[in-house]
Amino acid sequence: MFPLTHRIDHVSRRDLLKGVVATAGGAVVPNLGALFHSRTMAAEAKRSKKRCIVLYMEGGASQTDTFDMKPGRPTAGAFRPIPTPVTGMQVCEFLPTVAKHMKHFAVIRSMKTKSVDHGIGGYHMHTCYPSSERVPHPEIGAVIAKYLDDPESDLPSCIKMGPTGNYGSGYLGPLYEPFQLGNDGKPPNYTAPSVAPEIQERRSDLLQFMETDHAKDHHAAPFASHRTSELRALRLMKARKVFDIGEDWAKAKERYGDTEFGRSCFMALKLAEAGVPFVEIGQYGYDSHVDNFPISKANFSILDPAWGSLMGDLVDRGLLQDTLVVWLSEFGRTPAINNRAGRDHFGRAWTVTLAGGGIKGGQHYGASDRDGFEVAENPVTEGDLFATIYRTLGINHRAKHYLGSRPIWATLEGSKPIKELLG
Amino acid sequence: MAENFADAKVLFTLPWNSDAITTVAFIGNGMVAAGNKRGDILVWNLPAPGEKTPDPVRRLAGHSNEINRLIVTHDGKTLISACSDRTVKYWDAVSTAGEPGKVVLNDGFVRAGVTEKVPKLADLPPPITANVMVQKPLRELTAHKDWIWGLALSRDGKTLLSGDDSGVVIVSEVSTGKELRRWKVKQWVRSLDLSPDGKTVVTAEHFPQLNAVDTDVGVRFWDTETGGLKSDASKELKGGMSAVRFSEDGKQLAVCQGNIDREGPVGKVYLLDPATGKKLREFAPGHDRGAIDLAFHPDGKHLFSAGRDRLVKAWRLADGTHVRDFGQGGKGLTESIYAISLSPDGKLLAAADGVGQVVIYSLNPK
Repeated sequence: MFPLTHRIDHVSRRDLLKGVVATAGGAVVPNLGALFHSRTMAAEAKRSKKRCIVLYMEGGASQTDTFDMKPGRPTAGAFRPIPTPVTGMQVCEFLPTVAKHMKHFAVIRSMKTKSVDHGIGGYHMHTCYPSSERVPHPEIGAVIAKYLDDPESDLPSCIKMGPTGNYGSGYLGPLYEPFQLGNDGKPPNYTAPSVAPEIQERRSDLLQFMETDHAKDHHAAPFASHRTSELRALRLMKARKVFDIGEDWAKAKERYGDTEFGRSCFMALKLAEAGVPFVEIGQYGYDSHVDNFPISKANFSILDPAWGSLMGDLVDRGLLQDTLVVWLSEFGRTPAINNRAGRDHFGRAWTVTLAGGGIKGGQHYGASDRDGFEVAENPVTEGDLFATIYRTLGINHRAKHYLGSRPIWATLEGSKPIKELLG
Repeated sequence: MAENFADAKVLFTLPWNSDAITTVAFIGNGMVAAGNKRGDILVWNLPAPGEKTPDPVRRLAGHSNEINRLIVTHDGKTLISACSDRTVKYWDAVSTAGEPGKVVLNDGFVRAGVTEKVPKLADLPPPITANVMVQKPLRELTAHKDWIWGLALSRDGKTLLSGDDSGVVIVSEVSTGKELRRWKVKQWVRSLDLSPDGKTVVTAEHFPQLNAVDTDVGVRFWDTETGGLKSDASKELKGGMSAVRFSEDGKQLAVCQGNIDREGPVGKVYLLDPATGKKLREFAPGHDRGAIDLAFHPDGKHLFSAGRDRLVKAWRLADGTHVRDFGQGGKGLTESIYAISLSPDGKLLAAADGVGQVVIYSLNPK
């Protein structure tokens, strides 16, 4: 009997992992690293069942106009601060919904980072390594996916929406490659099956038979990568229902704002509920070298209801304790306003916020000086930030991997988690 | 007046660098008021040509954020300001009464083209001060809940229109400040004007984003009485308009493009059909990086535009000829001319120069 008349068992993520390694024939495949060296760490992280949502403000959001305002100073600009439920914590008047949740927020006002252009800054703030290194560092979502991945889940473990950049899974290999949804959180069209499920199943079996047979004599990494991608797509078709949020979205869109970013934040909530370990959502348009104030005001009118509602729903559904929400950019913006009423790129003293996931909220960490030109207290590097994020999620920030025989660590040497923020 | 304003020249440069000067308005033919991003309004009495550059004589105190528009009632007695502090304020335009005070004219910072490497704020120079009478507003309108950019008066002086960033247009009674009605337009109001017959409000609307698409901007015609949409010129006009102005007789309607600073000669100026918004003429070449303000000359023959290229351009209405430029201009990264005003007799032009000065031109020095 032709073997394909027997239905092959559903390929779980665990089987997938074994299959990839077997297909590689045990040879050293540079982009797979040495996955089993960190098995214990992975097991430990998975027990935490934590998740991470990153809100990435593409272009560089201004700290002086959001969380590190300078009222009354020449660098203040047109926005005014408003009080929040936390004494001593003020935020921009155009983030009123976010302001309500400040008791959950740790606002790091002392980011001091080195890469102040978009490409290199985006890379650095996604990998914690400078792009000048000739090593394919994985982006943060890929690392979190690796350690918090549920092998039994059909959903990707690292999902991105909107303008986040794509820095890839690097040496962790294709299994942790980020999966990109549309800017509005909708899955790509190719995940919609074009045939009935039983026909799709048989096609998948045929394809696996042919590719496994081919791979016996062809031990190259690209074949393994290709197979990984195929299997991911097939499994995603099975899990597609998670992305069908139409009915729920109709009820939620007034709160989140009927925008692509709003819908993506709502999708992130759904994915967090479904246990996806990492979701990143990008919002376009923060590179305000000109007309910083009207542009930022418009951006915040989209950001605030979406982010604030996401926080509120995470709280209401009991998810915030296990979901770390990170707000960041590739860099901040200059406190000095230029002659086109804009603010330029700035890495010397800017702001990232962390909330939930066990972070001790309701506090500032670090400070900039009176006008915001330099860090005055507790500088935080890219590595320190990543270390804090990983530790919060139960991941060893000094986890070691190998590229061939070369060891690589998840964060730079000397990176330290901010203990004041750790729960 | 010389043809094409060929003899025009700078009469006075009124220095005031506390923050970028964003608005300017003549009060009669002999006074000029200017507002800045700090929320201050100063008034100067203009002496005869050849006399010493005047200091401001009055400070109108009360706003706390960027002044976006200044207009003067037709009788010249009341100055009205629209501000990002969400208020409209009425001021006595001519009174010299008030509390004696001082104003520092140079306590602002010179703004650099690119600020990435600016290590800190520079030390300020020794202050230059002027003695002024400090005056409070006659009335404050607080109905708006967002930044107010649009401000216009009916020709009979009885009705005020104001529009804000939440898309709300409010019609109020000038004599009492009472709100008569309001309606919501589709996007944020960047500018508005009222037709001389009082029947139509034209709004320039936008949602300012770096990656703006055509659906984020609009020019629309509304019924003043009902707030109903009469016509929509948005499809014909690409790009965000920053100013809309009716001519005094209502026969001409001008708009200019430049709500956001963008590269290239994007500051186009158009004449539209005042009834339908159909594009009648484009004035070229436009301003680099955008045009911000417009003013019709009282002669009925010319239109002036102010731009982000630090130029004021004069145009002949009959055939669209670019008559001349005023100002130094500037390639690349420069401050803008944020606003212009023409004196009622058409002899003077005032330009609000973002570097920190109000430049008064005589258009007819002879």
